[in-house]
Amino acid sequence: MGFEPRIVGFLCNWCSYTGADLAGTSRVKYPHNIRIIRVMCTARIDPTFVLKAMADGADGVLICGCHPGDCHYVEGNFKAMRRYALLKRTLRDFGIDDSRVRLEWVSASEGVRFAEVVKDMTEKIRSLGPNKVKVELATDAVER
Amino acid sequence: MSGHRIGVYVCNCGTNIAKTVKVDEVAEAMGKLDEVAIARSYKYMCSNPGQEMIVNDIKELKLDRVVVAACSPRMHEPTFRKALETAGLNPYFVEMANIREQCSWVHDDILEATEKAKALTHAAVARVAYNEPLEKRSVQMSPATLVLGGGIAGMTAALELADSDQTVYLIERKDVLGGNVARVDLTAPYLDSARDILSELITKTTRHSKINVMLGTELVHMGGFIGNFVCKVKDAEGDETELSVGSVVVCTGYKEFDASRIKQYGYGKFPDVITSFELETMIRKGRITKKDGTLPKYVSIIHCVGSRSEEFNTYCSRVCCMTALKYAHEIKSAIPSAYVDDLYIDMHAFGKGCEDFYRKSSEVKTMFLMYKKNSTPQVKLADPKKDDCSMLITVQEQLSGEEIEIPADLIVLMVGMEPREDSTDVAHLVNISRDKDGWFIESHPKLDPVATTTDGVFIAGACSSPKDIPDSVAQARAASARILARISMGEIWTDAVYAEIDEELCSGCRMCNDLCPYTAIEFDEEKKRSHVISAVCKACGACVAACPSGAIKARHFTDEQIYAQIEGVL
Repeated sequence: MGFEPRIVGFLCNWCSYTGADLAGTSRVKYPHNIRIIRVMCTARIDPTFVLKAMADGADGVLICGCHPGDCHYVEGNFKAMRRYALLKRTLRDFGIDDSRVRLEWVSASEGVRFAEVVKDMTEKIRSLGPNKVKVELATDAVER
Repeated sequence: MSGHRIGVYVCNCGTNIAKTVKVDEVAEAMGKLDEVAIARSYKYMCSNPGQEMIVNDIKELKLDRVVVAACSPRMHEPTFRKALETAGLNPYFVEMANIREQCSWVHDDILEATEKAKALTHAAVARVAYNEPLEKRSVQMSPATLVLGGGIAGMTAALELADSDQTVYLIERKDVLGGNVARVDLTAPYLDSARDILSELITKTTRHSKINVMLGTELVHMGGFIGNFVCKVKDAEGDETELSVGSVVVCTGYKEFDASRIKQYGYGKFPDVITSFELETMIRKGRITKKDGTLPKYVSIIHCVGSRSEEFNTYCSRVCCMTALKYAHEIKSAIPSAYVDDLYIDMHAFGKGCEDFYRKSSEVKTMFLMYKKNSTPQVKLADPKKDDCSMLITVQEQLSGEEIEIPADLIVLMVGMEPREDSTDVAHLVNISRDKDGWFIESHPKLDPVATTTDGVFIAGACSSPKDIPDSVAQARAASARILARISMGEIWTDAVYAEIDEELCSGCRMCNDLCPYTAIEFDEEKKRSHVISAVCKACGACVAACPSGAIKARHFTDEQIYAQIEGVL
């Protein structure tokens, strides 16, 4: 069997989680690789959530929030965007390909777009291959 | 973490889940997890027997946490929270795994979908162990309501509330009440006069002692939360007034499609190509004529102008078909010698009395011609020497399968409905969402059509999708009923989810103070610590992720809960 990426999705409750639900009610198909975790707003996403997911073996992390200007909490998505820029740098410092983590805007009416984002991300992660961080962390622990 | 007794319930949702997810296998796998005392699958967990199963298990097996793997929590979380309350457990001790909308409905492969369902349910089991008992907040419900928009929906909502002796502020941007219905002569399909319907409503509204009608006024700011909104409105002179209300009903209506966007019809170029609203104006004045004052011999009515089209709006505007038939009647009665052609894509006669009305229209000798979706009829000027009409319309007629040319002196374009240009501003002001076309989104399209994602803010009428008068009126009354039910409670319970600051851990750096979009965080100068005003907090969690001391807790979305979920899904 080929490599099946495991992707953790952090989706905001108001736009993107609802958009993902809409993909379901509209029966729009997308790859099974994504596992969604709901947060109230992308601004709640502590960069450590993403790092933990990567350390625990996720091959990619997808963060989805409301489009700029449409945030249920006025500007939470802008806060997420700023943290995301820093997070990308941290990932590179750790030697992790920063394209494994992605931020996308998906509104409550964009079920089809959500499915497309998941499809595209799954393919990209598939071509990158497995994330080795978990294995490396385990080896480090043994060597120590 | 030890000693929990978790019950896991995997819903089949008939075949909705069970068709793609092996529900028994999921239940069996969950049954093997630590702390899981019982794991079952059942046909419909949300049904009464399903809920009773949970309640009985909680009592008999002494469960202290529950996981329901079923539909989206946006659908049935309230249902299962209530079931837990019935069994005497804190309602926040239930966790849902979304294995329908985000699993069985979007995947085809049974093996993969089953594995994913296990992972999602496992994550819920891991998370629920960290769920804390939360107490809901009680807030006072202000009995006053702000209604945005003085059209038929707005006035109906205002009157319903005011007749129950509650204060209403009805604000309208224009300096008259009536909205779009005021532009109409007769209504389809019973041909009652719109003027009669409206004038009675307007009189009642303006004379009602409990309704404060504010014309030429718009909303400029809304703050607060359900039961306690503070709305700032501004009149034409620029004077601002602050209104304290418990609820808001948005009834801002629609605007008509701009017909000049469709080049083939020549609207704006040919003087006798007019919109349905321009025909209404003529009918109200009592004379249907061409621009030059003469009577038209051939009148053509074109349906779906801007609606049901790939290029413009894909949706159906719902009222135009019956309005077009109404015009056939009105034109025939004003000019009995006129020939009326009706160019349609499909005749949508879905409402009460509409199919009968359609049949009657055929009997008044209207020529119905069917054109194909996305193949727009083409209007051109006729040759005055050769033709006895001023324009010609080329149509790919579907029933005959032929391209035909029909004469026209007056062409009526049935312009569809569109969201108003200011719908983005309104959505931002009252914190509600819009769909891909720009219409306001309801909390649930079928089960909660007048509520929105912001508690206490309701939508009614054509601001959420094209609607006729009866549907708009029904929605306005529904929104009012929802509001009156809450007013009668005096105080209401709102979600227990908000942020909390541990004063022991807070370093007083004040970083969170400015981050909060609702200024819900206050700084205590004496203690040099920040604290959250829970009633104002809306639980976004921006401060939680930002706090360098880890002193802020997002209730029900704690780091521990999310960490457990991450471990669970992987």
